Parts: sequence; structure tokens; C-alpha cells
Amino acid sequence: MASNQLSVRHLLGIKNLSADDVQLILDTAREFKEVINRPIKKVPSLRDVTIANVFFENSTRTRLSFELAEKRLSADVVNFSSSSSSVKKGETLLDTVNNILAMKVDMIVMRHSSPGAPHFLSDRIRANVINAGDGTHEHPTQALLDSFSIREKLGDLAGKKVAIIGDILHSRVALSNIFCLQKQGAEVMVCGPSTLIPKYISSLGVKVSHNVREALAWCDVANVLRIQLERLQVKYFPSLREYSLYFGITKTMLDQLDKEIVLMHPGPINRGVELTSDAADSPHSIILDQVENGVAVRMAVLYLLAQQ
Amino acid sequence: MKTLIKAARIIDSQSEHNQTTQDILVENGLIVGIGVGLTATDARVVELPNVCVSPGWVDLRVRAGDPGHEHREDLQTLAAAAAAGGFADVALMPNTQPALDSKDTIGYVRRATQGLAVRVHPLGAVTKKCEGHDFSEMIDLHHAGALAFTDGDRPIENPDVLLKALQYLRQIDGLLMNRPEDPHLARFGQLNEGITSTLLGMKGIPNLAEELMLARDLKLLQYALLATNYQPNAPILHFSTLSTRRSVAMVREAKAAGLPVSCDVAAHQIAFDDTVMLGFDTNYKVNPPFRTPDDVAALWEGLADGTIDAVVSDHHPLDEESKNLEFDLADFGIIGLETAFAVLNTHNSVLTLNQLIDALTHAPRRILRLPAVRIAQNQPARLTLFDPDAAWTFEKTKSKSKNSPFFGIPLKGKVYEIIA
Repeated sequence: MASNQLSVRHLLGIKNLSADDVQLILDTAREFKEVINRPIKKVPSLRDVTIANVFFENSTRTRLSFELAEKRLSADVVNFSSSSSSVKKGETLLDTVNNILAMKVDMIVMRHSSPGAPHFLSDRIRANVINAGDGTHEHPTQALLDSFSIREKLGDLAGKKVAIIGDILHSRVALSNIFCLQKQGAEVMVCGPSTLIPKYISSLGVKVSHNVREALAWCDVANVLRIQLERLQVKYFPSLREYSLYFGITKTMLDQLDKEIVLMHPGPINRGVELTSDAADSPHSIILDQVENGVAVRMAVLYLLAQQ
Repeated sequence: MKTLIKAARIIDSQSEHNQTTQDILVENGLIVGIGVGLTATDARVVELPNVCVSPGWVDLRVRAGDPGHEHREDLQTLAAAAAAGGFADVALMPNTQPALDSKDTIGYVRRATQGLAVRVHPLGAVTKKCEGHDFSEMIDLHHAGALAFTDGDRPIENPDVLLKALQYLRQIDGLLMNRPEDPHLARFGQLNEGITSTLLGMKGIPNLAEELMLARDLKLLQYALLATNYQPNAPILHFSTLSTRRSVAMVREAKAAGLPVSCDVAAHQIAFDDTVMLGFDTNYKVNPPFRTPDDVAALWEGLADGTIDAVVSDHHPLDEESKNLEFDLADFGIIGLETAFAVLNTHNSVLTLNQLIDALTHAPRRILRLPAVRIAQNQPARLTLFDPDAAWTFEKTKSKSKNSPFFGIPLKGKVYEIIA
């Protein structure tokens, strides 16, 4: 029987979750999705719980989504944003967070550019830590909301084929999705230019393709990633033009497939680069469902961690 | 001043007393007696359980923060840590601030360490500030006491600089040391490139970064020797802290072809593979990074067949502000002086005790062109006393820094003291 408690105190990454944890979060999220579609969207579950959203990297939708989830659960919310996460520029991460905790904060939702930054914190502080994206490592709530959205559309993920297309090398969404989908028995393919596919990725048990048409033909779900121009420290491909010509997805490509396909994107979309507008806005797309589901999934995560 | 060491097992492949248990009498820095049942009046008598004695150990690669970052390690605490680790001689990397690229700074290190039991040998920078561009005055540094030349932590990126340095040092029969790592391939790398780096979402440092520069350096050395009658009687190019199977194979081939090269490995390198990084503990963050179990096995094979000449501590003291950080912001480095022998000894299953000690004493001494030391009558007494079987746990350090993954880990093989 599935437990009604998570096996972890923090949500650092999908890697650290059990398959039961994933199921529990997704099942709980379904209940919260029902809640946020009521006329009165607020429940008192996290009354008197104070949550700090600490964002050391720019974010619009993730931060908003967490904040909404927190408010719908009646938590008290404070926000901190700073674009400079480097200690060289001032206070250390630990000092910043300890200062926030000194103001009696119970949970920290953190986005940070350093892989492992939430692990670093969780070893050193008592509050629950939720990883809202750590560099190129993991973005667990994104993977959970992606799975939730697929499940909503296609049912159980076991045996489903999901292609993750784009810049896999710099993507925390890809890594978290790989772990999350595999824990539910889905098959995963990664697809992109060979310079943007980590050399040892197939050791994680995923298929690798460099042909986007082949990936689309194979999959039930295409999760298209943003080309992270801001995270490319060196050149990995010649130009956005060439990328969109050879790795971009158009509505015509989707329509030509002789099957149903679900199109996803974690946002923000570079329209005309990885997805044309007509593809992003096509009936195949569940991109806006993902956003809606994000709130429900984050409510589930916050709610379950608060029980720990 | 007399010291009488009672019932010590001699571990010295160059000594006729090797593997025998003897009393050793030391007077005024000389071994004046070796035998059974020696007595001496007014001598400090050293009686230690299961004691072994070997020629004093030599570390080819240590760093201090002196001058520049004295709060990490000054020359006195460096020497204290070296003594605690059994090292009687250490070669100091030039990556200080200012760098050891002038007679002034070389002289400073020598003066500041004069009279210490541990000899701290400054290594001169090949290029000014170790930046890889303009040569430092290497002959002058040599005469000021620089034992060999290296840019330390900075690989010599420009092949022409390495070639010219090799050619130039010929005049003094000098030794060039390089840590091979192509900076472009290693750029932004945080740990070994492999499954672990993939799981952690971090850029890896590929084996290729090391192997490419190593292959290049060997070509450059061949070219430097081409059409010359230079036949050095000691290595003239030394590779520091090798980490991959292919690197070991390349040095093995080069030696077989008669190239005057030598190399070393860091003690911690043969203790861990890259899976230790899965917890994001920055105490394991080191360069070269921990590789795969197969690389570790190859490093042991290299030590066993003599391809790898020496074991170094790669001692790198770093303050908490540089280590207690997010992983990618933390500096690379481990303090290793006090644990090098024990780590090597604990993980060893292929070397005889004599081979292991040779890699800590005779080999590095020969590479650095230090006078040979041997346990025999009327020879200088530079000795390390240790027990290879003693179990202990590293808990306190003489270093000013605490960046070590070995705290609290049971180790086998304890150093008693050095006599120097």
C-alpha cells in the first residue's frame, strides 16, 4: 500500500525520490487541482507556515507558480530575489539563507545557478528545502508537473514514450524529467544536436537521437526544451537560424504524423526557434495546461513536505 | 645531540640493512652506528612499537599560502604538517602571491624556512606570475635555490613556451614539471566527465584534457631532443598528478622509448573514484578530478611497474571561505601532507612496502636532483619513523586549513616522526 508520507524531508531532486513518492505527489496534486478550480480556491492547510521564495536566478512562471501555490494553501509568503548568486559579489548563500531563517521561516523554495546548491543548504539548515531549479542539475517540480500533465492527457505513464527535444546538456528540466518518467515506467528518448547531448546520457537508460523527425515519429509525447542561450558559455551550434531549420518543430511536422502526439514545453518559448507559433498554439499543445498544473503540483509538494 | 632508535625495521631498498631490525645511533646529523643492542650515554632513546625507519620522505608537490594567503598556510605550518606526515623535504609550488618568479621570492622562502627540520624547496615559476607568457629568469632562480621549474597549478598552455623552456633549461640540466590539462577542454569542468557528472548535471573534465596535453608535451620533448647530443642523466620533463589509464600508458611507452620523463600521482587520486562526488561534498573537489575505478586500477599498475615514479600529497590548503560553498563556486584542492602515506598504505594491495616507500623517497629525490640518502654508517641522517600497520583516524591537523575528505576516516599506517 502506498504511504501517505514522503520518504524525504526536502525536495532536492527527483533522483532522491522513490517511485511511491512520485505517485503520492501526483495523486495529491489531483486533489489540489480540483481545489483550485473551485470558486473559493483557498484552503487552510499551511496556515502559520512561513515560506520564503529565494530566487538567485531570474524566473517568472516558477516563482509566480510557487507563490500562488503557497497562497492557495494559506501560507505566509516572503520573496527574495537577487541576480547575483556569486559569493564574490557579497554575502554567501549560507549567510543569506540564515538571515532569512532567523526571521522564523519554515520552508525555503530556492532557485540557484549552482548545481547542488539546495543540497548544500539542506545539509546546513533545519527548514525544508525545495529545489526550484539548481543550475543545470534538476528542476523537480517541473518534471512532476510535466508527468502530471501527461497523465491527465494519456493516463498511466507506464510504457508511454516521451521524447525530450532540444538542449539536453544545459537542461535541468531534462534530467529531472528523465528520472521522473523512468520512475513511472515510461520510455525516454533525448534528441538534439550532438554537441548538446551529454556524452554519457545513454548510461541513464535513455535512447539518443539527433533527428527530430525520427524522435517525433517514435514518441507519444514531445517535450520541447528552450534553447538556453543565456546558459551557453561557449559555442555549441552555429546559429539560431540553423538550429530552427534542423531542430525546430512546426505544426506541419506534427500534422504529418499519422498519430496523436502531445506537445509540451516548460517555457518560456523562443517562438520561431525550437517551436513555431503555429505548433505551440496547435491542438497538440498542452503548454498552458502545464502552467495550470504547476500550481496544483507545487501545492502538493508544499503540503506533503509540511507534514514531515 | 644523540638519538638512539631502538629495534627499528629498516625499509630502504638502497641499504644493505634493508628489511632487518636494528638499533640506529644518530649523532649530529650523521648515522654513526647500526647494529643490535647499541647503547649510548646522553642519547634521546626512541623506543616505539613496530617502528620502521626509512630515508626521509620527499613530496614533489605542496602549496602554501606564504606569501599571499598566510591564513591558509604559512611556511611554518606547512613544515609542521610535512613533518607530521613523515616528509623531510617538500617542493613548494610557485603559485603564491607574489609568485615564486624572482630571486626575491625564492630567497624569501629559503630564509623563512632556514633552520627547520623539514627542508622547503622552492620551485621556480617558468613564466612570470605563472601566467604562461613571459619567462622568468630561470637560471638566476636556479642559482637562488629553485630546484626545478613549473607553473604549478597552471598547465603550460602554449606549446612554444613549453618547448623553449625545455630547450633553455638544458644549460643547467634543469627539470621542467607540468601538470598536463588542456584548459579549453577542461573549461568550466567541475569533476570527472562521466556518468556521475551526467547525473549531477555538471560539466565534466574529460580524460582527454589530460591526455591531449600529455601527448603534446611528449612530442615537444622529442622535438627538443632531436638533432642534439643532449643525454640527460635524470628526467628533464616531469608530469604532475596523472589521473587516467591512457596517461599512464603514454608515459610507459615514452619511458620504453628512452625519453627522459618521470611522473607522479597524488595519494588521494588512488583512493577514490568519481562516485564520491554524488553528495556534492566540496572536500572531494580536486584537480585532477577523481576518475573511474578503471583509472584508479591503472594508476596502481603504473606504480607497481615503475611507470609512475613518485607519490605526492598535492597538498593544497584552502580556507573555509573557498570550500564551504556551492559546489561550482568552491576551489579545487585537498590538504594531503599528513595523510598521504596512510592513504596510500591503506588502499595498497599491489606494492611491497619497499616499493611504496621508494615512491616516497628515492624516486622523488632522484627527480629533484637531491643528494641520495641511504641508511648506512656515516651517511646523513634524514629519516622517517613510521608504523605501516598502526590503525588511526585523522582528527587533528597541523595545517591551518581543514579541506580534507579524510577527517574521521580510519586509516592504516601512522607516522611517528622525522629525524632530520
